[in-house]
Amino acid sequence: MQAQDGTCALVLSGRVIDDHDKEVLPFAELYLPELGRGAQADSAGHFTIAGLCPGTYRLRAVHIGCEPVERMVKLEASMEVRIRLEHHALELHEAEIVRSRPDEHVGQAHEQLDKEAMERGSGRTLGEMIAVIPGVTTLNSGPTISKPMIHGLTGNRVLVLNQGVRQEDQQWGSEHAPNLDPFSSDRITVVKGAASVQYGSDAVGGVVITEPVELPRSGPLGGEVRALGTMNGWGIGGNALLQGGVKGVTGMGWRVQGSTRSMGDGHAADYNLSNTGMRENGASASIGYRDHRWNASVYGSWYARDLGILRAAHIGNLTDLQQAIASGTPWYIGAYTREIAAPSQAVQHVLAKADAGYAVSERGRLTFTYAYQDDQRQEYDLRRGGRSAIPALDLHLVTHTGEATFKHWIGRHVHGKAGVSGLHQENINVPGTGIRPLIPNYRKESAGAFIIEHFNLTERLEVEAGARVEATHLDVAKYDGSNVLIRPEHQFLNQALSAGVNWSVSDSTHVRFNLSSAFRPPHVSELYSEGLHHGAAAIEVGDPTLGSEQAYKAVLEVGSALLGGRAHASLTAHAAHIANFIQLRPSGVELTIRGAFPVFNYVATDALISGLDASFDLRLLGPVTWRLRASTVHGRDRVKDEWLFQMPSDRMENTLVYAPRTTGKWKRLEIAPTSVLVLQQQRIPVGVDLASPPPTYHLLGLSASASRPLGNGDLRIGLRGSNLLNAAYRDYLDRFRYYADARGLDIALWITYWFGSPN
Amino acid sequence: MNMKTELKYLTYALIASAAITACKRDEVDPITPPPPTNEEELITTLRLHFHSVGGAEHKHMVFTDLDGSGGNAPVIHGDTLSADSAYHVHVEVLDESGSPAEDITQEIVEESDVHQFFYQVSGANATVAYDDADANGHPIGLETVWTVGAASNGTVVVTLRQQPDKTASGVSSGDITNAGGETDIEVSFPLVIE
Repeated sequence: MQAQDGTCALVLSGRVIDDHDKEVLPFAELYLPELGRGAQADSAGHFTIAGLCPGTYRLRAVHIGCEPVERMVKLEASMEVRIRLEHHALELHEAEIVRSRPDEHVGQAHEQLDKEAMERGSGRTLGEMIAVIPGVTTLNSGPTISKPMIHGLTGNRVLVLNQGVRQEDQQWGSEHAPNLDPFSSDRITVVKGAASVQYGSDAVGGVVITEPVELPRSGPLGGEVRALGTMNGWGIGGNALLQGGVKGVTGMGWRVQGSTRSMGDGHAADYNLSNTGMRENGASASIGYRDHRWNASVYGSWYARDLGILRAAHIGNLTDLQQAIASGTPWYIGAYTREIAAPSQAVQHVLAKADAGYAVSERGRLTFTYAYQDDQRQEYDLRRGGRSAIPALDLHLVTHTGEATFKHWIGRHVHGKAGVSGLHQENINVPGTGIRPLIPNYRKESAGAFIIEHFNLTERLEVEAGARVEATHLDVAKYDGSNVLIRPEHQFLNQALSAGVNWSVSDSTHVRFNLSSAFRPPHVSELYSEGLHHGAAAIEVGDPTLGSEQAYKAVLEVGSALLGGRAHASLTAHAAHIANFIQLRPSGVELTIRGAFPVFNYVATDALISGLDASFDLRLLGPVTWRLRASTVHGRDRVKDEWLFQMPSDRMENTLVYAPRTTGKWKRLEIAPTSVLVLQQQRIPVGVDLASPPPTYHLLGLSASASRPLGNGDLRIGLRGSNLLNAAYRDYLDRFRYYADARGLDIALWITYWFGSPN
Repeated sequence: MNMKTELKYLTYALIASAAITACKRDEVDPITPPPPTNEEELITTLRLHFHSVGGAEHKHMVFTDLDGSGGNAPVIHGDTLSADSAYHVHVEVLDESGSPAEDITQEIVEESDVHQFFYQVSGANATVAYDDADANGHPIGLETVWTVGAASNGTVVVTLRQQPDKTASGVSSGDITNAGGETDIEVSFPLVIE
């Protein structure tokens, strides 16, 4: 890989050009995945990758905000390519390598996990997969439920986009993880910032975007098959993907994909985590057509997951909770089983999406997207009288979303997009549970309009500004305390602004600054919760007078290559002020037949959340690289002048990547031991929590992978070990930390076969 | 392209988007929930019936919370027991939120192997012994015998656990410490012995 001798000194260089107006596309990223090598094009669209061996490689070109595209490159001698068409022997006719779309993330701090990084997270949930990015953590409920948390914010404040569509799956619940299969996508982007202008309501903490690489447009069958096993819980699973072009129709392609996983009880360091098994299945299919002028595609996916809730976490009242905290071990520890019994959750999520785009002229492109989502969630509780098979919570959520956008280019330096979006949603409690609903039936409709403009001021400086306005109407139907039907209605009018700068200070240093606002209308659970929330052993009381949250966030990211390219450092500083920040605060204790329960009220306050994310990569001698990732978040309640509850503590991850040059058939060998240090959370509000935050903990991990060509494709094997010392620990952001330790030693193994050519 | 054409396309986009999100209003709004049925699992009433052994004394301790959690606070009535005597105590568990009242005691009897009542007395001179058993020979606690000593004042906490570990140490003799399970009832009654 690192060519030292003369035969591997070829240079692949070139220019990336916007196919539409022939202008250069600055800062595009070029990547050769098989070699792990890449380069970023400069502000003139020019890139260079040196020290290459002759061979055939996949060249991936990415421009932030565009769907990446891959092409095969046959390197026999040093060559210069113009990534568009014509100019070279490389027949790149069929497609525009780089889509001429505006950079949607100008100034927004964001990071990506590509397919290789996702594979290293095989067997993990979506939340855990992206938690390797500094600033991203997870709010867990035991070993199988993780909600992504960006800079301390989670739930309704982190927008998840599934295939570019806002995922609506009861994300308000603290024990509701996103209902999607991460492997239905090839890439996950995390935007760390207030991004309502681009994405609409709820993007207060950030956005998690899953979207696939473009459909192939021609060519033979390609695909991938993976089998995986995990030791903790004895999980087995696999994914498979098949894609290809359609014979005789250039520009048309299809893809089908499926995943399955099954796991039994997890295991903490010293005992079984009884009833934490999981079954997961998903499948997706899409077909699409694209040419210079127009494009259209249809996509459908189905996802289902059954999971057990830690038996020992299902406690009754305050006395039980205090006893659990005092005891230190779970009150229920059974023998290992793969069976999932009550308490448990069963979720199904269906997504159907259609989109079409038409280039109305050389300078304008119109796109329409429509998506339909059907989310069903049943939660099973331990019930008397043989009722454990009847769900205690049965919710059916149907959402329609539509968007029409117009992308335009004005002159040489300006491009942008304007559009309108709409949403129609109905939430129904399926009758038959025999329990008063936790959240009421409702209908939500919203419509918004937005505009984002992007200016290339100079070769090194680009700025962006945008605005969005959105109106939301909420129609609730419920029975009040006297069993009278009431139909309260709410109206919210929100706006968001953003301004960002992307400045290439020099060839090796860049600065990104963004100041944006975001909004979040209150959710029905915050307005109308009433009564005992069984899953939380607390009585939660909503407040119908709550208003929308309004956030202003500033993010500054500075990245630089140092020591002549041997090192790379990046620092992201962020600060957000959130007005009307809605949170649960204890207001006393209520006596019921089951004993005393803490009462929590939804109240609004003023929050200030700030922090720092840092990454540092240093190539030590030869094939060894040291990677450091660290983050800190300070969340403050300005009204009460105290720390906010449930903010991530300071953490640091150190990895040594050993990637030696191999001479045999096995290539890309990589071994990386990791050390994760999570400090005890000291910044806590007094009197809110029933137990002290768990102590500082340290975990050792190891990941290793290697690949070799096999037949028409590549065989990859990988291993990931976590908590190698089987440490007994608890994490502050785990809601089940009152009852049990977190997962002990775990080893995941996978084997992947990728075949055919991607396009 | 010029602003006019751009505006034209934007208008088309707006109309198209509005068409997508239009909804038809039926006569019965689909989000209207059906009238609430009585909440199952709800226990509104716990009654302890005391009959003095060999005597004619009847005492009652009652906990009622007719509207469930929230709403009005529960009402708790303790009672005064005669010193140096013994009582047969029988537990009644009801859901009186609807009419007729639902007898939850019967459900507990039917699932007696996964239910157990515990009685924790503090401050007063009284001990509680189990007087019933489930199919496995473990106590249930719906029937108990209370032996009352000298005059004193205190409390008794009556707890019903669902799916306790009846075989754990001390559980079958009334020690709740290792019982586990979920708490379905936990009520503290004032206990006065005169």
